Amino acid sequence: MTLYVVRRAALLVVSLLAASVLIFLVLRLLPGDIAQTIGGIKATPAQVAAVRHDLGLDRPLAAQYADWIGGVVTGDFGRSVLDGTSVSGQLAEKFAVTGPLAVGAVVLALAFAVPLGIVAAVRRDSRLGGAVNALGQFGIALPTLWVGLLLVVVFAVQLRWLPAQGFPVDGWAERGQALRSLVLPWLALALSEGAVLLRFVRSAVLEVLHQDWLRTARAKGHTRTGALVRHGLRNAAVPVVSVLGLQIAALVAGAVVVEQVFVLPGVGQMLITDVGNRDLDKVQGEILLLTGAVLVIGFLVDLAHRLIDPRLRSAV
Amino acid sequence: MRRTTALRLAATAVLAGLAATACGTGSADDPANAGQTSQAAEPAAIDTGATVDVRLVLEPTSLDIASTAGAALDQILLDNIYQGLLTRDENNKIEPSLATSYDTSPDGLTYTFRLARNATFHDGTEVTAADAVWSLQQVTAKGSKNPDAAALASVKSVSASDDHTVVVTLKHRDTGFTWGLTGRAGVVFKKGTDFASLAGNENGTGPFKLSGWKRGSSITFVRNDAYRGKKAKVAKVVFHYIKDDNAANNAQQTGQTDIETAADATLLQPFSDKSKYTVLRGDTTDKFTLAFNNASGPTKDVRVRRAIRRAVDNAGLIKALGGAAKPVGGPVPATDPGYADLTAIDAYDPDSAEKLLEQAGYGSGLKLTVQIPNIYPAEIGDYLASELKQVGVQLTVRQVEFQTWLDTVYTKHDYQLSLVDHAEARDLDNFANPAYYFGYDNANVRKWYAAAQTAAGDAERDVLLKKAARQVAEDAAADWLFVNQTLTVVRSGVTGVPRNFTSNRYDLADLAVAKKK
Repeated sequence: MTLYVVRRAALLVVSLLAASVLIFLVLRLLPGDIAQTIGGIKATPAQVAAVRHDLGLDRPLAAQYADWIGGVVTGDFGRSVLDGTSVSGQLAEKFAVTGPLAVGAVVLALAFAVPLGIVAAVRRDSRLGGAVNALGQFGIALPTLWVGLLLVVVFAVQLRWLPAQGFPVDGWAERGQALRSLVLPWLALALSEGAVLLRFVRSAVLEVLHQDWLRTARAKGHTRTGALVRHGLRNAAVPVVSVLGLQIAALVAGAVVVEQVFVLPGVGQMLITDVGNRDLDKVQGEILLLTGAVLVIGFLVDLAHRLIDPRLRSAV
Repeated sequence: MRRTTALRLAATAVLAGLAATACGTGSADDPANAGQTSQAAEPAAIDTGATVDVRLVLEPTSLDIASTAGAALDQILLDNIYQGLLTRDENNKIEPSLATSYDTSPDGLTYTFRLARNATFHDGTEVTAADAVWSLQQVTAKGSKNPDAAALASVKSVSASDDHTVVVTLKHRDTGFTWGLTGRAGVVFKKGTDFASLAGNENGTGPFKLSGWKRGSSITFVRNDAYRGKKAKVAKVVFHYIKDDNAANNAQQTGQTDIETAADATLLQPFSDKSKYTVLRGDTTDKFTLAFNNASGPTKDVRVRRAIRRAVDNAGLIKALGGAAKPVGGPVPATDPGYADLTAIDAYDPDSAEKLLEQAGYGSGLKLTVQIPNIYPAEIGDYLASELKQVGVQLTVRQVEFQTWLDTVYTKHDYQLSLVDHAEARDLDNFANPAYYFGYDNANVRKWYAAAQTAAGDAERDVLLKKAARQVAEDAAADWLFVNQTLTVVRSGVTGVPRNFTSNRYDLADLAVAKKK
């Protein structure tokens, strides 16, 4: 296990380095640059060139990359060229919105996807199972954007129960208000994420129901539910955990749509703005940190697999 | 099975209907008449402790107004936080600000500004002529990074004759000089200010102080209680940056905002109750300009440019967008000097457009591409494509990111047609500059524009500007589709709300909230 962890960690570092090169180069392929953002459309070409020179954007790419990665190694992920704020500081500020948004949505999704998924599998031939299954299909088909708009219309505009958009100016210092701001986004995300999870839970449980060992467990006197709870669910959890890992990663970086609909100042919205401004020093730091987070989640998922499934522990 | 499908359909229909009603996609009775130009007078009892929440669209990229371009900075920072020697009133007329008055020498080359006494910076120090001189010198210095430096290009020297008098001498007469001072080029900073420190900070002289900036969400101003002049009437203003018009509408409807600027004309239905809301209609200098590449490609031929102008029914486009706009027909909007109604030039006439195209050798059809930044309504591109199709022009609409537009169209001039909102006031100079992305060059226009700049008075200037503008329109240097009008939804009880030019300047000086009974 220790050897596995060490090898896996080394792989993580190499992946991050490779990612950093890719991120750096791909961002440089975008047309336009920050000097034009700063100068605007009234600045003369000479003024824009002067800004470019001041920022070191006219230096060779290799030198710019070396500067950046040198900083990263010492824990400095860079600063915004536009307003001087640090990448890690800004990410932390935005993560205070996106983190709770993603985690809350996943918890909510799990809360209805797991029981419903099991019901859909166990009662697959009954009306109930069919209905739950149809519900899952329906949930997958609903675009998050549309669900979000609808929730706003019903619960914010019509019923006035919850805020229509935004996050309190003072953030989590206004805890009640902050929580209220997240309820509708949570629902919107949990519905689509949960529907996907429901399908995975259902097929994982179906798979387990057909296993010989489950039949053996029942032959030994377990009821069907008892056998499923004691032996089945742990086995069914393996593929579900993989999907969950992917979904959390996607949510952290990709709650963009929901952040747009609910005008939440989160990570996704910040990335879009920064790319639009061509604040590349900031964008590359942000994306690298997010890539790191996704890789770490993948790492944790692998570890979780090993904890759930003893057969994997012997393999290196 | 059939039953479930039917149920699903019914449910979807109900939900969709709900969404449509509450999003307000149903059009207002007559959107063309929506909005009024006057608002309620300030109530007798106002709540000086009030907080006003305002929806704005574009967030500033930085607060360093000395070196970072962008109308979003001017919009909130000028007048409220920073002040220049001069400013603009609600109708874009020049009026005093930090300078209480000024004189011009008979030859028009020397301007003497008298500064307000006991004006102070937000750090408490007094504003002196030395600060004003230093600030102007930063703009006019060689290698200045001020994006608006061109506005003061005619300045020869700046000096202080005493602590409260600033003297500016010009190289030549400049009818645009005082206007230039009303913009960010004229802002007075404390002498020695490190501009880099202004990125998320300020030390201005205005009636408001910056209290916080939550990037990606809001900027908060609080009243400057030490302000020398007429103090602000509200304690706090929070600008909420909400790009999406539907989200902004919801925020206004549910009371999250008191004022919604730049409201969508097609979404006004929820605000029809006049006891709860006032909808203000204001002027802008936002010229939605269909630019032609005058220097190369098929649009180098004036017949092609004129044909395109005649093929597009601007009135129809305005109607399709909800009616909050005016036709303009030329490069100068009604609120700028040099305006004349030029809508008769190359007015809508698809038949003659076809003939012009035939004469230009495109009788068998012409393929063109227009590049439009994706921040503008997609309907405009669709409308242009369908209008041009009628005269045999196959228009490909390319929606691009604004930065891509800046790079390909604006900087590299690599385009055939382009559409952007030229929001700046008094920007006829773009047609007098052959190096600008329009690539338009007419020696007379250049001559008249230059003469207008150095004219002896405003009347003489306006005559020259009119001549230049007419020539530009006759040469079909671009198609000015419309000048936007801006709609502001205001909760009842809030008065003194800016109505005109709100995306360029948002002066909060008169903003007040009635005291709750």
